[in-house]
Amino acid sequence: MTRGRLLLLVALALAVTAAAVGRAAAQETLGERLPVRELTLDNGMRFLILERAGAPTVSFVVEVAVGGVHERLGTTGIAHLLEHLLFKGTTSIGTRDAERERALFARMDAVHDTVLHARASGDTAEVRQLLGRIDELEDSARVYVEPNELDRIFTEAGARGLNATTSSESTNYFVELPANRAELWFVLESDRMRDPVFREFYAERRVVLEERRMRVETSPAGLLYEAHLAAAFTVHPYGVPVVGYGSDLETLTRADVASYYRRYYGPNNAVVAVVGNVDADRIEAWARRYFGRLPRGEEPPPVLAREPRQIGERRVAIEWDAEPRLRIGWHVPSSLHPDAPALAILASVLTGGRNSRLHRRLVTDDRTATGVFASTGPGNRYPQLFQIDAVPRSPHGPAEVEEAIYEEIRRLAAEGPTAQELERVRNQVLAGNVRRLGSNLGLAFQLAASETLEGDWRATFRVGEQLQAVTPEEVRRVAAEYLTRSNRTVATLERRAAP
Amino acid sequence: MIARPWVLLGSAIVAGTLLAGDAVAQTPATRDAISSLRFDAIEFEPPTPDRYELEGVQILLLEDRSLPLVSMYARFNGGYGLFDRSWYAVAFGLPTLLRYGGTESMTPDSVDAALDYWAIQTSFGTGGGSISSTVNTLTEHLGTTMELWTDLLTRPRFDTAQIELWRLRELEGARRRLDDPGSLAFAEFNRLMYGDHPVGWEMEPADLTPERLTAERFREAHRRVLCRENLILGVTGDVSWAESRPLFERFIASVPPCAEPLPEDPEPDIRREPGVFVIERDLEQTVIVMAHPTSLNLADDPSYFAATIGNSILGGGGFSSRLLARVRTEEGFAYSASSLWTTPRRHDGLVGALTSTSPENAVPAVQLILTTMEELRDTAPSRAELRTAVDRVVNGFVFNFQTPGQIVSRLMLYLAEEMPEDWLERYVAGIQRVEPEHVRRVFAEHLRPGAMTILLVGDPARMGRSALESLGPVSVLDADRPRP
Repeated sequence: MTRGRLLLLVALALAVTAAAVGRAAAQETLGERLPVRELTLDNGMRFLILERAGAPTVSFVVEVAVGGVHERLGTTGIAHLLEHLLFKGTTSIGTRDAERERALFARMDAVHDTVLHARASGDTAEVRQLLGRIDELEDSARVYVEPNELDRIFTEAGARGLNATTSSESTNYFVELPANRAELWFVLESDRMRDPVFREFYAERRVVLEERRMRVETSPAGLLYEAHLAAAFTVHPYGVPVVGYGSDLETLTRADVASYYRRYYGPNNAVVAVVGNVDADRIEAWARRYFGRLPRGEEPPPVLAREPRQIGERRVAIEWDAEPRLRIGWHVPSSLHPDAPALAILASVLTGGRNSRLHRRLVTDDRTATGVFASTGPGNRYPQLFQIDAVPRSPHGPAEVEEAIYEEIRRLAAEGPTAQELERVRNQVLAGNVRRLGSNLGLAFQLAASETLEGDWRATFRVGEQLQAVTPEEVRRVAAEYLTRSNRTVATLERRAAP
Repeated sequence: MIARPWVLLGSAIVAGTLLAGDAVAQTPATRDAISSLRFDAIEFEPPTPDRYELEGVQILLLEDRSLPLVSMYARFNGGYGLFDRSWYAVAFGLPTLLRYGGTESMTPDSVDAALDYWAIQTSFGTGGGSISSTVNTLTEHLGTTMELWTDLLTRPRFDTAQIELWRLRELEGARRRLDDPGSLAFAEFNRLMYGDHPVGWEMEPADLTPERLTAERFREAHRRVLCRENLILGVTGDVSWAESRPLFERFIASVPPCAEPLPEDPEPDIRREPGVFVIERDLEQTVIVMAHPTSLNLADDPSYFAATIGNSILGGGGFSSRLLARVRTEEGFAYSASSLWTTPRRHDGLVGALTSTSPENAVPAVQLILTTMEELRDTAPSRAELRTAVDRVVNGFVFNFQTPGQIVSRLMLYLAEEMPEDWLERYVAGIQRVEPEHVRRVFAEHLRPGAMTILLVGDPARMGRSALESLGPVSVLDADRPRP
């Protein structure tokens, strides 16, 4: 009974899918056909503008091609700290008297230079006293500060979701506004790009330290992630935490941030996506008027660090007051490499849904884990990791789960996936091609990311086609080629043994 | 010795940045530019769902032909919060087992394979008072999808192997709850405040015995909740009433009338005495939660609107609210700090605050939060602060209509909760009538900083034991129940 019914379903599905695939091959996807207007200003700043019907709202995403990979040991966390500070205002927003503020900056920064030396000499009393002095100066500067004014202006305009994120290779600033207030964004954002003031610097540095404590130092998953990347990457800055190391954050200076800003925040290093119920002509006119006058910035230095080929398994263990976790990573090429689609399919065959191989093996059959998840990261642009995260189920530990994962990978590397497994993934891709167009903000993110990574907003919509073209043999080959013992780094978290 | 060049370098660069700023400062100041902006009026008629009724079941439809996708929504009144503790795990797990437990005619594996194959997205969940499910599909697969979804919701198999898998996963979840200081703090705080009431329950091994989780008990919970009088349906996307009506007829025919009404939701007996509690953990950051009960309910009433705006000013409004401005922006104590004010429709709610900070700043952060609360009891907020909170809602009104799903789900909620259908409009009108003095009055009446139950998860030695005592007599809570 059951079997007959499913077979019927599958037969229907095949017919429908074949028709759908035929269509996809014959013409561009819905995404590629979007009427996106492309605009590049003389200063190199790129805009992607998309008019859409629907509620009168508009989504703005700015992607700046800067992140953790543009950092050095000693100044880790600077891209992210800068992202925080860019909400502090400019010489006109966020201040009552920028002149007087500036005079106090020089004084507190001079004290801070002395702090660094007191730290080096281990004089903790002196450090405390000097930090107290900086606090006093920052408090006295507060007389001239209009706190969180940028946020307040957006909030009063009815904005939603004003925020930013920093990743290992990009920083995104985003907000949604009622469509009739779109020009407000141009005024505020162009002011911020032209003229930021890094006020309340020392208080904000403490905020970022608290963010690090929350995301890393008190989080078992965060601790494991940081240790794993640091072990897997010995040369490439993908190994450095985007939030920064605590001791680096404590020593970053306002001058470091200002100089970093000049190097990476030129308009030529930014892409803006504007998606919503707006008039593209007006958006273009505002883009030219407000951003056209910004001078072109420096050409950001390229990241030339290259991770050497790994020549032996690496292992790192965390002991912590928490239940065990496991994380395995293999070096694989960047998302722009021809093998990237096969690796994406591999991730889906292994852990995409309840019928995937590792879910079935670990969660359903062996019951040694409650979850398993494969992905690539931490970025896209540079050679990265194919990574598997697993959550063992007590009393089973990481070792048992790890061995089962290798067994499944060996089998896949020997036999390849079945045609049925690939078919399942392909149908998901087809539906995904449509679903990904649902939200304006989501679309704006995709356009900006694709333009930044590949210089072409359409590239992201061709991924579906590339995934469709992957053969079982290609999936087998990438599993056999990359998921080897000597190419992997394994991180485990286990409960701290009694002293 | 090296200090000199550092100072020079630092100053030179800062000056450089600001000089660059001066060069463009001749352009009109940004504030002037903003005040000279003129915004067009928004011409927007919010879409209204069409209303239908089949066999006494209400159905909301909002057509949207922009993409070849259809979403269906089902909401059943009745969740774990209405049953006694012995049913907690069954009622909590019911939505999950509807999705994973198979149907009368399909094994769990076949269901997974079919959903995968047709690339159908589903969600199944419970908020304690109701069970909800949605399904999203390409239009061309709507018939198949609806057939499958109907079976999942109305002819569940409750496969025993899947029940056991879910049971094991929940047991593991209970173990891991102690790993994350945030979730530990919230769970223990709810337990402290609500005791043996559904809000205070956390899944324990005693809830998860195989005897409590039989297929028969799942069937019983299913029978009690997934029946016709409890149901409201919705549909959005690339479909008309003529196309969806036969699908709904089949669906509703599979949902039997309710044999008995749902139980009343139990009245909570919330802890009223102030207190300071510590869960000892050797951590670099202390999680802080504080609250006391309030009797203010969601209603079309000036006090309710004043409380909503007041909460936004106190700590619910992000960077524009006082708690985040002081605890984060000024002091650098924390990444996040916010107030909470729950206003159930019946029964008491909670008012309070939460943050996380390094242990050394924990007590100063608590004191700062309490002082900030005290000030709002004594002095009305400024008109400017009030305007920020009100404008956010009024100017952002269009964000309530961004997707058809958002519009239909909201109306389904209003209908299910027997709220006025125009509640959103009433709300926006209500908050525009709030005056600063109303906010002060509602805080003076309902917020009592001295009555807070305060829970801190962290290292009391680093917080300073005498500093902690300054908040009140301190009790140590043992959260380390035996691990399942």
